[in-house]
Amino acid sequence: MPRRSSSLKGLSRRVFVHRLAFMGGGVILLGSACTDEKKPSSKAPEPAKPGSQGAPPTTSHLTFTNEEFAVLSAAVDRILPRDEDPGALDANVHGYIDAALQAQQLRKMKEDFTGGLHALDRRCGRMHKVGFAQATPEQQDDVLKVAFKEAPESSGEYKWYDLLVTLTMEGFLGDPSYGGNKNKAGWKLMGFDLVGKEAGEVSPDYDGKQHLDHLRCGSGKGC
Amino acid sequence: MALDPVDVVIIGSGAGGGPMAFELSKAGFKVVLLEKGPHYQQQEFVHDEILNSRRNFFMPLPWDEPHLFRPGGKSKSGDEHPFKHTNDGWTANCVGGGTVHMSGYFYRLKPIDFRLRTELGAVKGANVADWPITYEDLEPFYEKAEFELGVSGNAVPHPMREPRKKNYPLPPLREHPMAQEVEKACKSLGWHAIPTARGILSQEHQGRAPCTYCTLCGSYGCEHGAKASTGAALIPRALKTGNLDLRPRCMAKEVTVDEKGRAKSVIYFDPDGKEQEQAAKYIVVSCTAIESARLLLMSKSNRFPNGLGNDSGQLGKNLLFSSFGESRAHFKVSKQKERWPWLETSREPFINRSCQDFYWMPDDKFGFRKGGTLGFMWTHPNPIFAGAGLAKRGKEGVFGKALKERMREYRDSRIMQFEIYGEFLPTDGTYVMLSDKAPTKEGKVVTDKYGLPVAAVTVTRHPTDLKMSKFLVERGEEVLANLQPDKVERIGESGETTILQGGTCRMGKDPATSFLDADCKSHVVKNLYVVDGSFMPSIGGIPVTLTIAANSFRVASRMVERLKKEGK
Repeated sequence: MPRRSSSLKGLSRRVFVHRLAFMGGGVILLGSACTDEKKPSSKAPEPAKPGSQGAPPTTSHLTFTNEEFAVLSAAVDRILPRDEDPGALDANVHGYIDAALQAQQLRKMKEDFTGGLHALDRRCGRMHKVGFAQATPEQQDDVLKVAFKEAPESSGEYKWYDLLVTLTMEGFLGDPSYGGNKNKAGWKLMGFDLVGKEAGEVSPDYDGKQHLDHLRCGSGKGC
Repeated sequence: MALDPVDVVIIGSGAGGGPMAFELSKAGFKVVLLEKGPHYQQQEFVHDEILNSRRNFFMPLPWDEPHLFRPGGKSKSGDEHPFKHTNDGWTANCVGGGTVHMSGYFYRLKPIDFRLRTELGAVKGANVADWPITYEDLEPFYEKAEFELGVSGNAVPHPMREPRKKNYPLPPLREHPMAQEVEKACKSLGWHAIPTARGILSQEHQGRAPCTYCTLCGSYGCEHGAKASTGAALIPRALKTGNLDLRPRCMAKEVTVDEKGRAKSVIYFDPDGKEQEQAAKYIVVSCTAIESARLLLMSKSNRFPNGLGNDSGQLGKNLLFSSFGESRAHFKVSKQKERWPWLETSREPFINRSCQDFYWMPDDKFGFRKGGTLGFMWTHPNPIFAGAGLAKRGKEGVFGKALKERMREYRDSRIMQFEIYGEFLPTDGTYVMLSDKAPTKEGKVVTDKYGLPVAAVTVTRHPTDLKMSKFLVERGEEVLANLQPDKVERIGESGETTILQGGTCRMGKDPATSFLDADCKSHVVKNLYVVDGSFMPSIGGIPVTLTIAANSFRVASRMVERLKKEGK
């Protein structure tokens, strides 16, 4: 897939640390950017970029290009595949992440996460000679496990995997008003519809997205 | 131009600032209360985990307003550990502060906590100090705080029970049948399971509605106002006096001094980001131990080049957290419901049992004397938190079918846990400084979205604490095992609960070794007070929220006397 943005190359380690710590749940801190550092950076940056000269990539999504969205969908499908119970795609986790990363507060994370999708795709290409979205489930699992989940804790790959899992869980188990957890599939799977564990007693017309929009990311001063 | 002077400016509206605003405005003084966060109305508290726990509804984002944390000592390479950016050490940024999203475990300290140095003797590597006040000095204000905030509980006799004149103002909350099982288990081990007092209303109290027993309490605001937050219990009443000017979304950046070295005004960013200056006769700082130290360290002047009132160099030193430990007992409902049908049918959210048999050890046979409290509760039913926990990370991490199996197993489980609130010995290596004293390798100073240096925290644990927390975790696991669960899982036996903070402006009699006097007034700047957890010379073996509130009521009563004397 075309690498639309500069992926994570331009980010200093420190900046990256800033951004992802929060989403990982407070204890997760980013190390180096999850870019492909071993490879010489000679690869030409992708030609097309919104706002730049080339034609903008076609997309029917809010955050991602069609190609990025395909990688994202394949990745969340491997984290929570459909089996006898619904999986991530059934719950619209991919749609949730696409929408969630539009939030003003997460604007920087959007770039970091997108960069990680490109890294995943590239790594799959190197390991299996095929793009991540086109790879077999076994190949996809192999890349996710070896190159990301079990990467050194200080690596960007490890941190990006952590972010992927965290966003997948938000989309699978968060309030359905954000577009994920469709038909409360996630809550049903884990029993948050059972006595004593009920989640999300909100009014039927509640829309978390509107709430989020009202959160100011700055107090007037430097947002 | 400074805004017209008022009697008192209070910075921070949580457990410390709330009671102060309430008492001073009731006594007729003109008070300005600055709060950096918004003023949420009750109906804005909704059971939406994404909003509450995963965005900046309560906690700032670490790229907007980071804290820097590092362990003390040297790494293997011989260098100091690098600082990491985190949102650890923040409590809720909103009117009511941390009392809004707390769980409200409202224990009192014990008399022994006030004379820890005397009881322990000198502890090598630790700056243990007696408090300049006694439990008896604070007791009437515990009683007052319990009444004004609304605490539900039952003070039963047990070996570690602190002296108290009255039972709790409200009867205990309803309990899950598991509470009785925890009692039996403790009893069979020769220990005592005591009811945990909660800052949650079991009945209507002072016009506030009681608890509805929803399952999401801690880390959420209460939409009924049943939780004992200062935002629900005190600030609305303070506003009714007409003497309180509450200013939310106002971030204090400096406390200025006049030529005599007295605190003169507070400079802050208003909601539009414009700098304002509010003058006052008295200034009360209450922004949490970490953030108060930061604000005072940022308040530099010719008279105080090292931070306001910091002649002793003690400001920011002896930072305290609560020692952490946790284990969980998993009960498979399908398997255990024959024995305990209520595992499947009872939706009661509260177990509310604690064990304080290891609060103070008769000798140091186990390597420590001062221990803490075990609190028993259901694990937090936050779905994303639970799901992310099951996925784990690294080699232990799973995804795919294996993860879904864990999720199905969770569906068939009720999970009880204990957490420990243990002593945290003050050390030279646990302190707050400003990020301008800790530039990055590239020589850059980390600043927040206001352009201000941030709090940089170094944590060096005393080895005794770790022996203690491991011991308490092991005792807690004996209780869990006694309940015959399907699995006991240890979550942690060391570490710190960073939302529970103290120290940094410790009080004491000697201005050379303490920042505040016994009235929580600066030894040096005679019209400056600090009333969050900063004042505590030691953290005790409990969550400190009630103690911070009680102490603030105590300091407020001293201030009211003084302000009346010094003339309106």
